[in-house]
Amino acid sequence: MPTDHPSLLSRLTRRGFVASLAAPVLIAGCRQNRPYDARRFTVPARSAVGLFAVSSYATDFADVIARGLSELGVNLAGRRVFLKPNMVEYERDTIINTHPSVVAGAAIACRRAGAAEVVVGEGPGHRRDIEYLLAATGLDDHLREERVRFVDLNHDDVRMTPLASSFTKQPALALPVELLKSDFVISMPKLKTHHWAGLTCSMKNLFGTVPGAVYGWPKNVLHLYGIPNSIVDLTATVRPQLAIVDAVTAMEGDGPIMGRPRALGFIAMGTDPVAVDATCARVIGLDPGRMEYLRQAARFLGNIDAGRIDQRGEPLSRYATRFEVVAALEYLRQQT
Amino acid sequence: MSTDPARLRSAIREALLESRNRDGTWPYVSGKQARLEPTCWALLALGRAGGRGPDLEVLERWQRRDHWLIDVDGAPPNQAFNGFAALTYLAHPDGRKQISLLAERIIATKAVRFPPSNLIRLDSSLQGWSWVDGTASWVEPTAWCLLFLKQYVKAGSVPAAAERISVGDRLLLDRACTDGGWNYGNSQVFGKDLWPYVPTTALALMAMQDRRSEPIVQRSLEQLQEDVASERSMSALALTIICSRVFGIPQVQVQRDLAALVERNQSRWSDNLLGLAMALYALEPGRGPDAFAL
Repeated sequence: MPTDHPSLLSRLTRRGFVASLAAPVLIAGCRQNRPYDARRFTVPARSAVGLFAVSSYATDFADVIARGLSELGVNLAGRRVFLKPNMVEYERDTIINTHPSVVAGAAIACRRAGAAEVVVGEGPGHRRDIEYLLAATGLDDHLREERVRFVDLNHDDVRMTPLASSFTKQPALALPVELLKSDFVISMPKLKTHHWAGLTCSMKNLFGTVPGAVYGWPKNVLHLYGIPNSIVDLTATVRPQLAIVDAVTAMEGDGPIMGRPRALGFIAMGTDPVAVDATCARVIGLDPGRMEYLRQAARFLGNIDAGRIDQRGEPLSRYATRFEVVAALEYLRQQT
Repeated sequence: MSTDPARLRSAIREALLESRNRDGTWPYVSGKQARLEPTCWALLALGRAGGRGPDLEVLERWQRRDHWLIDVDGAPPNQAFNGFAALTYLAHPDGRKQISLLAERIIATKAVRFPPSNLIRLDSSLQGWSWVDGTASWVEPTAWCLLFLKQYVKAGSVPAAAERISVGDRLLLDRACTDGGWNYGNSQVFGKDLWPYVPTTALALMAMQDRRSEPIVQRSLEQLQEDVASERSMSALALTIICSRVFGIPQVQVQRDLAALVERNQSRWSDNLLGLAMALYALEPGRGPDAFAL
């Protein structure tokens, strides 16, 4: 297996070392009220986000995602890939979770692209009972068929990990070792409105990396640190290199659990998760600039300005619509 | 079920002993770090199988901070699992005298009180127990700490515990779902009823077994019997059996379902030692007192 791709664990360790050397500068940074070290992050000059048409969940997702990897120039050769779907809860006839066909398709596409290992992992924030969720959602059958290993992030070994930014003002969080060992994290959310955060997409999806067996169900510490703060710190720390969003059927209204299904018909992909979330927000009629977590992330992690996002695949206008949101979030609407 | 029940239990015991770490602890997944929750379940299950109390030496060696048992180095103490560990101590005849300081911590601990909100229906004045310090009250940690305290005071009066038990009872009554059962924290968000879960309902019912005349406890018992029919996990089925046992409700079919599920999952036992230990406790007829009964 090639060894030139540093795992998340080694990247974080190195970051920690560099950060300790830069302590005086960090203190100066804190004085300026900046909760991140600008030298450790680079916002790309431009970010590509692809919207790929998918008519139903009967589609061959491996083909769609392989096309996306190719269009985005993603190189997975020799990588230990960690797929992080969104699997929160199961209730029959609802669309709460990333569809298992999309997860299985991503695993196949990653292998075809030369990944050395593909692991799927999730730590549901609601249902503690992963055995139930895997069976009920059908993900277990898909993963068995494709011989893909699943890791329950709620109950995995953990390591206290320094946070790469300090919006939550927390120095560290326990994170799962299986996630830290990987060297290419792919966030695979279901596109949903969220009654607290506005939107749950590739960044909010990272809440599922925080272990319930340490912090509980739900992961209430993340709420108390501030949901936008937690989203940004987790994204800065986990640094997903790719987002694959299941927007074949999305959720509107009182998401992330009690909302209604809404067919959109695409898979969104991009290497800048901030840009992917911003694009998905625009599709459903929300203004990324009004979302606290995206506004903060745009300072140092990625692009939300439409002028700096290159659209691939289908044009955004093909899918642009207006999702229902809870009344308290009406202020997030794009002005037309 | 194809396997003889006694043979299945024997196979589970063997699997649990084989997956034990060298220091006598258990991880969630075979070969991984020692964790408090699966260790307590395995100790209780193997103790029940052997007709004796749990082997407390393992817990006596556990890392502690301010009398809390620490599950993960550097992480905050998990109050739910400390409540459960304290209950595990009480399953041993000599356990009570070893946990007076942990009991004091549990009695003194309160979840954060938040201002009332019109978005979430709950009595915010009630401060039960949280998962980790500085967060809200949740059903599972409150149920574990409440059940422990109710057992703890049985063997001798602890005046300071009475108020906490009263708050714990009131909190669980307040947080019950409209038709019975418990979600994780509350029963309604944004005006919508939340649905109950089998594991949380079973745990909360165990903690409320001395309040069985409460209508919501009765409704929750009915809800549990209804919901368990669609359950497919070892832990949910096991908790239902353990809960029903303390209420004196036979669960022949659920026992059969659990045994069949355990057998079907045999190739993956090492991936779910928590569920396996819970299943063993549930399937063991037991010769001594039940660790979860008041």
